[in-house]
Amino acid sequence: MSTAAVELTDVKFSWPAQRPTLDIPHWQVEQAGTMLLRGASGSGKSTLLSLLAGVNTPQQGKIELLGTDLARLSARNRDKFRADHIGYIFQQFNLLPYLSALDNVLLGVQFSKQRRQRLRDPAEKTANDYLTRLGLSQRQQHQPAAELSVGQQQRVAAARALIGAPELLIADEPTSALDADRRDRFINLLLELSNANGTTVIFVTHDASLAKQFQFCTELSDINRVTSSLAEADDA
Amino acid sequence: MLKLATKSLLNRKVSVLLTVVAIAVSVALLLAVERVKEQVQENFANTVSGTDLIVGPRGSQTQLLLASVFHIGSMTNTMSWASFEDIASRREISWAVPISLGDSVQGLPVVATTDGYFKHYKYANQQALELNQGRWFEANEQAVLGAEAAQQLQKNVGDSLTIAHGSGGLSFSEHDQHPIAVVGVLERTGTPVDQAVYVSLETIETVHGIEQQHSDEHHHEHHHPAESISAALLGLKVKPLALRLQREFNTYDAEPLTALMPGLTLQQLWKTLNVFEQTLNGMSALVVLIGLIGMLTILLASLRERRREMAVLRAVGAGPVTLFTLLVTEAVLVTLAATLAGLGLLYALQWSLQGVIHTQTGILFSLNFPTAAEWWRMGLVVVAGFLLSLIPAWRAYRQSLSDGLTVKV
Ligand SMILES: Nc1ncnc2c1ncn2[C@@H]1O[C@H](COP(=O)(O)OP(=O)(O)OP(=O)(O)O)[C@@H](O)[C@H]1O
Ligand SMILES: [Mg+2]
Repeated sequence: MSTAAVELTDVKFSWPAQRPTLDIPHWQVEQAGTMLLRGASGSGKSTLLSLLAGVNTPQQGKIELLGTDLARLSARNRDKFRADHIGYIFQQFNLLPYLSALDNVLLGVQFSKQRRQRLRDPAEKTANDYLTRLGLSQRQQHQPAAELSVGQQQRVAAARALIGAPELLIADEPTSALDADRRDRFINLLLELSNANGTTVIFVTHDASLAKQFQFCTELSDINRVTSSLAEADDA
Repeated sequence: MLKLATKSLLNRKVSVLLTVVAIAVSVALLLAVERVKEQVQENFANTVSGTDLIVGPRGSQTQLLLASVFHIGSMTNTMSWASFEDIASRREISWAVPISLGDSVQGLPVVATTDGYFKHYKYANQQALELNQGRWFEANEQAVLGAEAAQQLQKNVGDSLTIAHGSGGLSFSEHDQHPIAVVGVLERTGTPVDQAVYVSLETIETVHGIEQQHSDEHHHEHHHPAESISAALLGLKVKPLALRLQREFNTYDAEPLTALMPGLTLQQLWKTLNVFEQTLNGMSALVVLIGLIGMLTILLASLRERRREMAVLRAVGAGPVTLFTLLVTEAVLVTLAATLAGLGLLYALQWSLQGVIHTQTGILFSLNFPTAAEWWRMGLVVVAGFLLSLIPAWRAYRQSLSDGLTVKV
């Protein structure tokens, strides 16, 4: 078994009725490493993350996560695998607006027995701890998520992604709605918490200036043989 | 899952509530049609038991039955006392009770009869009439009141009342000079018996006789208690003879008569009303469908704004099947809540209208536990809601597959 948390070999993917988006001969992320994945808008970053999360499957090639070949799993088991091993943060709109911040965090362990078992304290208490450390007051924790600020929402999303210590944290431009100061603080908190759990982090952005906070940095255009001239153009 | 569905619904309180109300009202309507039908039929069926044949002047069977037993509508013709005596004296007849209708006390029907009525009239499960107070009338110018009549007239044993000619309430001539003493009040039966005032045939003759005193002097020459009657209730010694006797009376020589078997005539009546009932059923089913389609609309409309929500659920590990189930659960919760609310609404309506309906029609709508047929209807509504929910659920399923985690608004 390799020491890589994520390993892609000859992965090709195209959306239905579109020309290929991804063609990646090889890419890997070290276990417990923090990886910044950079790419222009529309270059296929989110698409790649969907493949890693097992929500979409490549037409070709092999994706190994934590030693498991995703292609070997049924769709159902890929969902379960994601619930058990992956924490996911979106760019925005991470929360169910009608649940409280606390309940949103608890969603992170709702679909996974494994992650519930990994908790040392009751789920409620752990969620409460995380949110407190991320700077949400008790009152805010019980407010419907819709009433929180964007920055607070992203912190709740981080807590949800980290609760139950999944092996892999995937963040898809989680800071694009934050200003520079709050962005740096958010990233530091995220890395600190995942470091404590030994979690591998894949952080996607189009902003190259974040590279110094991560151990590794990959340009999508370096690993992807599909060059989307259009995407490069509108990013420049 | 249930908690998630509930919270998601609560988040859309207003539209969900409106949908629930719309479906609840339609369900109440659907149940009401069934309940009214069932209880009216039961009430009617309960009203006569033990009477094998009813004979009256030639006319429609339904009219004869409704007038003689249910005091609904009026009878214009009469049958002669001679025919009654002839029929009553036949070997096959165990008992015969004459009744004469057409008069009223403040709008309540007066039934002129004999003490045979009290003895032989049976309702519900062969139950005999019983007196709550006093006794059955024994002489002229005495009256016995049905339970409801006593309450409405606010009369009791010892009070007196006057009879008006005709069935209308106020407009006919009342005769204060002929006070009739209340000697008894019947126990409540839950049938039209409760609404009526019972007097002897002679009493009615007297009331009418006084009226015609000047024009017709030789009234009391006969031994008959009455010249003519409205109908006769008959009990047979051998029940299976009913059909043969009915045919015989229908072709009675001396005067044109109609005979009927109460149970059969009631069944025919329900059969005639069946078309009407089916129409009502069809209409209320359509109303339910409209309510459910309203629910479908809000579920489908919500799907677009919930793409994000679906993606979030996918990200934390929910499969497309889970999202499918979530939507079905929401729809079933809505229909279930609406159906129960509809049932509640039905009971509330029934409870509040019970009194009015009883005094107006004599039909007592009992607040009983839902019948099998009603459970069926409610079940069908929930199943219909479930089936309709498959449409948005399927769309959510497809959507979550095509969107994956990369939702664009
Ligand atoms: N659900 C989808 N269905 C069809 N095509 C899609 C879907 N999601 C993305 N695409 C296509 O795949 C390509 C890459 O999109 P993707 O979202 O992966 O880019 P991205 O690098 O994440 O861009 P951004 O930085 O703007 O988020 C685009 O051309 C887009 O049109
Ligand atoms: Mg993207």
